[in-house]
Amino acid sequence: MKASVFWGCRILTEQYAYEMSLREILPRLDVELADLREAMCCGDPVKSVNDFAANYLGIRVLALANLTGLKDLLVPCNRCHFVISEAKHLVDTDEKTREKIADLLKEEGLEYNPDVIVWHTIDFLHDHVGLNCIKKAVTKPVKGMKLAVHYGCQILRYTDLGRMDDAENPRKLDELINAIGAETVDYSEKLDCCGAHLMLSHVDSALSLSGAKLKAVQTLGTNGLVVSCPDCGLMYDTKQKDAASTVGAKLNLPVVYYTQLLGLALGIGQEKLGLHLNQSPVDQLLSKVPA
Amino acid sequence: MSLIDSMSMAKPNLKTRSKILAKLRGRDLVNCFQCIKCTSGCTALKLLELKPHEIEKLVNLGLVDELMSSDIIWTCVTCLKCVQRCPQKASPYHVIIALRNLAVEREAKIPEEFMKKVSQILETGLAESMQKVTTRKMETCDRESLKLPKLAGPKESFQAAFMKALEER
Repeated sequence: MKASVFWGCRILTEQYAYEMSLREILPRLDVELADLREAMCCGDPVKSVNDFAANYLGIRVLALANLTGLKDLLVPCNRCHFVISEAKHLVDTDEKTREKIADLLKEEGLEYNPDVIVWHTIDFLHDHVGLNCIKKAVTKPVKGMKLAVHYGCQILRYTDLGRMDDAENPRKLDELINAIGAETVDYSEKLDCCGAHLMLSHVDSALSLSGAKLKAVQTLGTNGLVVSCPDCGLMYDTKQKDAASTVGAKLNLPVVYYTQLLGLALGIGQEKLGLHLNQSPVDQLLSKVPA
Repeated sequence: MSLIDSMSMAKPNLKTRSKILAKLRGRDLVNCFQCIKCTSGCTALKLLELKPHEIEKLVNLGLVDELMSSDIIWTCVTCLKCVQRCPQKASPYHVIIALRNLAVEREAKIPEEFMKKVSQILETGLAESMQKVTTRKMETCDRESLKLPKLAGPKESFQAAFMKALEER
C-alpha cells in the first residue's frame, strides 16, 4: 500500500531518529511513503496567535495530500495530528470558514478534499498495517523486556474530533509493543503531559513536568520508556539531563521511539534507526535486545 | 495575589466578552456550572496555578481585560484534558486560545517566542530552525550526513496566502 506523509517541523529539523526509523520500517511492512511537496508548518504555534491562520495551514496540508492522489495521509507528530484534525473538523462543519480557506488555497492552486484520511503512526501501524502483519514481519522479537508507554496528549484528546484511541485508557501502543515481544506496565502517570508546549513561554515549568514524569517512570523498574511523538521525544530523551537538573533528580531512563524498537524487531541495524542519536542512556536497553 | 484578587476592582467588558463568544463558534461557555472537573485535572495547575474554571467564570462575567493581559493564559500546556472531560462542553482550552488570539489583536504583552514562530514560518515555512545534532559519542550530524532528503523553502505564493490568513480576525 501507499500513503503520503506529512512530517511537521520538529521531526524534519531535529528529531531525525523518528524520521529515519519510520523510513526504514514502513517499506518492510509493504508501505510506500510519498513525501508531500512544499509542505510547511501545520499551524500549531500559530493557533495561539491567530486560530484562523492555523486552520488554514492545517487544511493546506490536506490539500497537498490531495495533490498526491493518495487517500491515506500519515502524520507522525501528535501536535500536527491534532491541529490538522481540528482544522478538518472545523471546515467540515463550518461553511464560512471552509469557503474562506478554499479562497486562500486557490492562490497556490490547491484544493481541499474531505476524503483524505489522517493517520498517526500508532493507528496507522495498529489498524491500517495491522498487528498480524507486524507479528509476521518480526524476525527478532524483543523478548524479556518490560517497558513503560507514553502516548502523549494530542492524539488522544478530544474525542469529538475522532482520535486514534480511547482518551482515558489507550491500549493501541501497548498492543503494538506486545506484538513485537515486550511487556508493558500500567502506571498512574501514564496520561501525564510532557510539557513541550510550555517551552515557548515557561521553560523551567516545561522541564519540571517532564522531569516529574521521568522520575515516576524510573521508579517502576522498567527497561525504558516508549514514545511516538517528536515533542515527547524532545522532552524525555533530548532534554532528559535538563529535566533532571530542574527536578533535582538523577535520571537514567532509556527513551526510544516505538518505530526504533519495531525496527530492531524487524532486524534493522541500530544506526539506520537513528539509535546513535538518542541522548538518553539507551545502551542499557539495547544490551537486552537479542543479537 | 491571585487572579480573582486582581479582579475585585475590575469592570465587566461585555463587548470583549461577545468577541470571545464569537471566536468560540457556539461552544457553550455560558453552560459552565463550575464543577471544577477541568481544574482538578489541569496539567498547569500543579506548577503554574492555572485554574480553568476561574477563567470560564471571569469570561462569563465579562472580566476579560485583566485576563487578556495576564500571563496566566500563557501557562496552558494544551494537553486538552479539560476539553475532553468538561461535562458541559464549555471547553476551557478553546476559551484560553480565544483569549490569546485577542491579546495578540490588542497588541498586549505576549511571550515573544510565539511571534518569532510566525515570522519564522513566513521566512522558512517551518516553525523550528534546522539543527545539527550530536550522537552519544559526540559526533555531529545533520540531514545530509544522515542521508535524509533535502527540504525546499516556501514559495512567494505561500507567503502571500499565509500573510492574508494572518489578517483574518
